[in-house]
Order: sequence, then C-alpha cells, then structure tokens
Amino acid sequence: MAVQLHDLVVETQALTKRFGGRTAVDGVELRIPRGVAFGYLGPNGAGKTTLIRMLLGLTSANEGSMRLLGLPVPERRAEALAGVGAIVEEPRFHGHLSGRENLEIVAAVRGGEAHRRIDDSLARVGLSARAGDRVRTYSLGMRQRLGIARCLLADPQLLILDEPMNGLDPAGIQEFRGFVREFVGEGRTIVLSSHLLDEVEKTCDWVAIVDRGRIVLQGSIADLRAGGDPTVLIETRDIAAASTVLARHPAVKRVSDDGAALHVALADVDAVPDLNRRLVAAGHDVLRLEPARASLEDRFLEITTRLENAA
Amino acid sequence: MSAIALEPSRSLLAADVLKLRRRRGLVVVTSLLTVGAMVITYGIIELLHVASPATHGPAGGVDNLGHGSWVAAALGAVAAAIVGSVAGAGDLDAGVYRDLVVTGRPRLALYRSRLRGGLVFLLPFAAAGYVVAAVSTVVFAGARPVPGPHLLVTTGLWVVLQVAFYYVLAFGIACLLGSRSYTIGTLLAFRLALTPILASIPALGVVRELVPGVALQDLAPAALGNTVRQGPDVPMSTAAVVVVLLAWAIAAVVAGGWRDTARDA
Repeated sequence: MAVQLHDLVVETQALTKRFGGRTAVDGVELRIPRGVAFGYLGPNGAGKTTLIRMLLGLTSANEGSMRLLGLPVPERRAEALAGVGAIVEEPRFHGHLSGRENLEIVAAVRGGEAHRRIDDSLARVGLSARAGDRVRTYSLGMRQRLGIARCLLADPQLLILDEPMNGLDPAGIQEFRGFVREFVGEGRTIVLSSHLLDEVEKTCDWVAIVDRGRIVLQGSIADLRAGGDPTVLIETRDIAAASTVLARHPAVKRVSDDGAALHVALADVDAVPDLNRRLVAAGHDVLRLEPARASLEDRFLEITTRLENAA
Repeated sequence: MSAIALEPSRSLLAADVLKLRRRRGLVVVTSLLTVGAMVITYGIIELLHVASPATHGPAGGVDNLGHGSWVAAALGAVAAAIVGSVAGAGDLDAGVYRDLVVTGRPRLALYRSRLRGGLVFLLPFAAAGYVVAAVSTVVFAGARPVPGPHLLVTTGLWVVLQVAFYYVLAFGIACLLGSRSYTIGTLLAFRLALTPILASIPALGVVRELVPGVALQDLAPAALGNTVRQGPDVPMSTAAVVVVLLAWAIAAVVAGGWRDTARDA
C-alpha cells in the first residue's frame, strides 16, 4: 500500500536519543499512516517507550525531527497533542480519587469540550457504574479501560498505547483488541507498542519492527507476509528424519519444526513436487503437504536471521 | 457531578484543589494542626482556669494571643510543609504527571495552578485556626487586657504570612526533589531545629538575618512582646525582612519551576 506524505500522522527523521554513552533510539525514520492500527514491535529495551516519550514531549531528542498529526514537534507541541491520547507504560491515576474525578482533572487540564465527554467516555469503556468508586479499588483491567476513557476526552485522531496488554488476562486482551478495532473503524489511528509479536499480528494492520534502537522493517502486515519466502507445511511420521532429507534440497532455505509438522521455506515454489518425490523415495509417508500462511513471526525470524548473519 | 466545568484556568485551579481536599488524611492532619491545635490549646488553658482560678489565669488576653499565635505559626508551618509537599510532588508520586503533560498544556501552567491550588486549600484552615485563637483571647480574657482589633488583625496576618511562606518553600522544594517525604523532613528540620539553633548563635552576627524564621519573628506585632519569640531578638529593618523573605520564596519557586519544566516526565 503506497502512503502519501499528507496521510502520515507520525513522521520522524533521523530521530536519536542517547542516555550517556548508550543510544536508545538510533536514527529512527518512522512513517505511520492515518486510520490504521500500527504496531511498534520490538523486544524489551529496544527503545520503544523512549520513542513514544519523545513524540509526546516527555523527554527531548538529541537529534532528528518529528511531526505529529502533520505538525512539527516540539515547536507546535500543544496543538499537536490536543488531538492525541496516550497511555505511557501502565495507566496511573490518583488512587484516592474516583474514576470520574480523575477524568475531571484531565478534562480541566485539556479544557475545551473535554469535560462534556466524560460521561460518554466512561460509558464507552463500560465504567459508568463504577465511576464513583475510588480508583485504588479498580482492577488492572479497569484501570486500563479508565486509561482509554482518559484518552477519549481529547476525541483523539491518534491514540498512542505503550504495551497496553501487559498484565491483562485473556478476556482483558480480547476486550482491548476490540477497542482498537472499533477506534480504527472510526477513522482514528492507533499506535500500539508491544514486545508480543503474536499480539501485534492479531491487532494491527501495519507494523514497524525495532531492534536495538533501529527500525529494521516497516510496512503493512499483509505486504510483509507476502514479501517473505514461500513456505510449505509438511507432515510425516518421522519429522526429524524428513527434516534432514529436506534440508539437503537446493531449493530449501530453512526448515523449522513446530512439533507436529515441518515449515519449509523455499527459494522456488516450483520445487514442491520434487520435495514430495524425495521424501517418498527416502521412505517417508507424506501425510500432509500444503502452502503455509506466512506469519509475521516467520518474517521477523527471517529478517533477524539475515541481520545476524550480516553482522 | 462536580463543578469543574468552569473557564480553563479556574477549572484547572478547581481540579488542583480537588486533588488535595479529597485526601482524607491530609484534611484531617491539616485540620488538627490548625483549628484543632487552637481548640485544644485554649480549651485546656480555660479548663484549668475554671478548675483552679487561683493558680491558672484565663485563656484570653494579649499574652495568650501571643502564645496561641506562636503555636499557630509553628504548627501552621508543619501543615504548610505537608500540604506544600503534596501539592508539589503529588502528581509525580501518583505517576500521573506525565499524563497531564501529554495533554499539551504547558508545564508552567500546571506548575502555577498547583502552587495556587495548595494555597487555596491551606489558607482557609490557617485562617480558621487563627479565628479560634482570636475569639478565644477576647471571650476568655477575664480581667486581662483584651487585644484590640488592630492587634488581632496584624497578628492574624503575621500567622497567615508564616504559613503561606513555609508553604511556598515546601512547594518549591517538593518540585525540585520530586519527593514528599524528603521535603517534609528537610523543611521541618530547618524550621523546628535549625532555625532556633542558628538564631541563638550570636557569633553568626548578620548572617542570622538570612534565616527566614528570624526575619519572620522580626515581623511579629510588637505588642505581643516575647510571647512569640523562639530565640533571641535579632533586630532587622523592615526592608531587610522583606528582601530576605522574598529572596527565599523566589528562589524556591524558580528552582521548583525550573525542575518541573525541565524534568523527564
């Protein structure tokens, strides 16, 4: 999918942040298109939260430039942030205040229409009935929902959620995923940072993969999947022995084993009939042979393996 | 529904007051250190007087206005340290400071509002405590000289000034350190221990005038005499008193504001 420049809600150029001698964010060029769920994916310590904090003006950049909703930041930070909602790390509140009072405080800080959105925001996340209770009595899932309600006070075009699934139970994760899809359906852009590859794949349309402060890949998940090596799934009675046979074939790039079947990445998809013949000739009963739907994980492993080999 | 739907700066101020007045512990402690302390002080003196008029004088009169004002100022400074530290570092302690910063509202506006919010919360308690003292000194004066309106007003302003001054110091230090407990500890040690020690060392000479407690003591109404003195008298000109107090307050506000706007949220 081609991205027009005016469609970008976040755009960074050579963005760099150093803490002493350590570079946490290293020349990041990030492009986030409008109206998608965008996953910012990387292992812990890859610089995801630092990048978010720079975008939101919580910490300054050492080098590079940023645009948020088309506006340069920090120069026009206040205007840009008026259209942004964010949860950085875990959602925190004044525990001695009720959920509604916490929202009233943020609404007072935001000004404008924010106060009138409190009731709708609480209803939207299903907290109307508990809005009068002190936040210290809320579960983590409820605090996460209250965090979203707080973001909605801005009627945001862009929501930035830093590791939002951390600590949530499966029902909470499912619910959160539902919120993300709803918001995208309303034309909002969601940026979701995570170290959970599976979660990003299930929730997002676009992704940037970050490693040691640098973006190693970004694009739509569909394009990334399609851009990988063709892969077939092969099941035999003895997959370990079959793996040895397949690994010798010149068209096979990688063979991995999920315990039940082999995932065989190919340089040339026309080699599939020959693979089948070789397995049968080697005495293996081929129980299943089908194209595998490439996952983001396969693509991620492919890229990181390539990077490691190049290093 | 509460009433934080006012114009932007007023609603921000109302929000900052709300954060303080909904802390039950803070309200109770502040009440006790201001109103409660005065009720207890004058109540006990009057009860002793009623029980044994021959050995205990009445709770009112000019002298007891001085004693009561000294207690109100000393405990008011403790309340000011507590409220100032919560107003200054409460958002940071709760972890919500960054959530306020990401709204795009300038940090300086948040800082100013918190500073004013704490004063709006604290000063009514200090004033109410003093009203208890003032009324008691008039009602329970008995045969003692009754303080006049001018003395009552100037003494009240002196008490409220002390409370406001130590609040500003506490607020600035809390923003600078980002910690409530360090702020309270530092300020109480300074106000209750270090100030009387420094004031009672004549060898320090004019340096003693730089101690804010000494300057504040110099502002006490002369009619109260030694009843409000914590240490020896260090005479200062009014101009010097104003300069010393302003210098401390401005230094605290500027240092706290600088740290608040420059810190990684």
